Amino acid sequence: MSHSKPRNLSATLATATCALLGSHAAQPVQAEELQTWTFDTALLYYGEDNDRVQDASVNLLATRRFVDDRSLTLGLTVDALTGATPSGAVRQAFAQTFTRPSGNDIYTVPANEIPLDDTFRDTRVAATAGWTQPLGRLNTISVGFSASNEYDYTHFGLNAKVARDFNQRNTTLSAGLAIARDDIDPVGGTPVALSLMSDVGDLANRGGAESKNVLDVVVGLTQVVSRNAIVQLNYSYSDASGYLTDPYKILSVVDPVTGLAVPRTPTPGIDGPSHEFRFESRPDSRAKHSLYGQWKQDLGGKVLDVSYRYMTDDWEIDSHTFDTRLRWPMGKSAYLEPHVRYYMQTEADFYLASLADTAALPAFASSDYRLGRFDAITAGIKVGWRTAGGNDVGVRLEVYQQRGDVPANLLTGSQTAADVFPDLYAVIAQVSYRF
Amino acid sequence: MRPGRNLLIILLLAGLAGCAGLGVEPWDRDVLARDEMQLTTDPVEAALDDHIYFSKEASSGGRGFGGGGCGCN
Repeated sequence: MSHSKPRNLSATLATATCALLGSHAAQPVQAEELQTWTFDTALLYYGEDNDRVQDASVNLLATRRFVDDRSLTLGLTVDALTGATPSGAVRQAFAQTFTRPSGNDIYTVPANEIPLDDTFRDTRVAATAGWTQPLGRLNTISVGFSASNEYDYTHFGLNAKVARDFNQRNTTLSAGLAIARDDIDPVGGTPVALSLMSDVGDLANRGGAESKNVLDVVVGLTQVVSRNAIVQLNYSYSDASGYLTDPYKILSVVDPVTGLAVPRTPTPGIDGPSHEFRFESRPDSRAKHSLYGQWKQDLGGKVLDVSYRYMTDDWEIDSHTFDTRLRWPMGKSAYLEPHVRYYMQTEADFYLASLADTAALPAFASSDYRLGRFDAITAGIKVGWRTAGGNDVGVRLEVYQQRGDVPANLLTGSQTAADVFPDLYAVIAQVSYRF
Repeated sequence: MRPGRNLLIILLLAGLAGCAGLGVEPWDRDVLARDEMQLTTDPVEAALDDHIYFSKEASSGGRGFGGGGCGCN
């Protein structure tokens, strides 16, 4: 923290802000209080291999601490997203042609390549605001607001949390509630669930905008274990209802014996899909339960941070997440922090590799890889140091790898897991600066 | 909802009972007060990670609220 620094960037910024607002920041008493602005900034690059998703993100979190432990936080994130994302169709030994989500054009995926939809391009702006203050001697309350906007997606959320200290402030119990409303207005309209992808210009199977509501409840226990250790346990419940389908994801319709995509002929003179593809369909509700535990241990100056999360939901997805960081001091003002994360999930009960041509259509089906069975590893390192001016710099570099393991009973004919699951390799690079 | 709620109550009661004997005196909080001993040391990095994993995996939240607010999942 920067309370004792005579002069730094945050004080300068705060002074400038006050000058703009017409107040008198130069007076010594106010200047002392004004130095409690803290700015957390970060530039993030996230890039997947094979021309898949690339994200460049600019982040700012401003925190203003007032007397009496009250604080205000204001956050802003701008994401620029480009690249291609797996459509859900299965790769084939021949080229496949698809109609773009807009319905205006076609694109062709070469033989033996996982079908990617390259129309993915978006700018996302997200803002948050939060207020925290004590309530009586032992309680803390916080309230917050979040909003984000993309070309086809808008989010609004409200949250509130109350925490109470017990046991000489060694134990804290907290309970929080968040509600959100998201609106989805897909390019070209919302496709009718499980309808066939049609020719260019044919939007008969498209509907209007959709929405979903999300309710989150979190209760937590934080406990000081010893002079060198603290532990946290959280239980969370999340209930989403409304339109939970991804309007851009499709499934291949395949021959039930060979596993080959079923060919189709576009209307003469009009471009259209070369094979049969159906838009995916998900249930309109989802309830998730999570248990999260985190242990933080000082080891003579090094700090070990270990956490585990178990998640289960009524789509029959179970997941386990293990996360470990070790912050290793280097000299007086720098540190190295290696990080390893392991994640595994089971597939949703309506996850399918493809749809068999003869079978009656199921109520729900998705081949979105994110609902499949896979495990993922993140490994990386962060270097941090404090500048001569007392500000904190951090640089981290990580790799993230997903490997899918499609259950054998979901593969048809000649399909193999490697045909179906689009393994993922990504790099995460971040520079952060706190002043 | 019901199994989750029961599990929660049991966990909280067990936690509270077990916690009553744990802890330190106020003058022994020097280590715990350090920046690097806070449960979330870098809120921006934590939010970025939550957003990445929310976009690429079927799970989210745990540490806090479930994240979201994007068309990526």
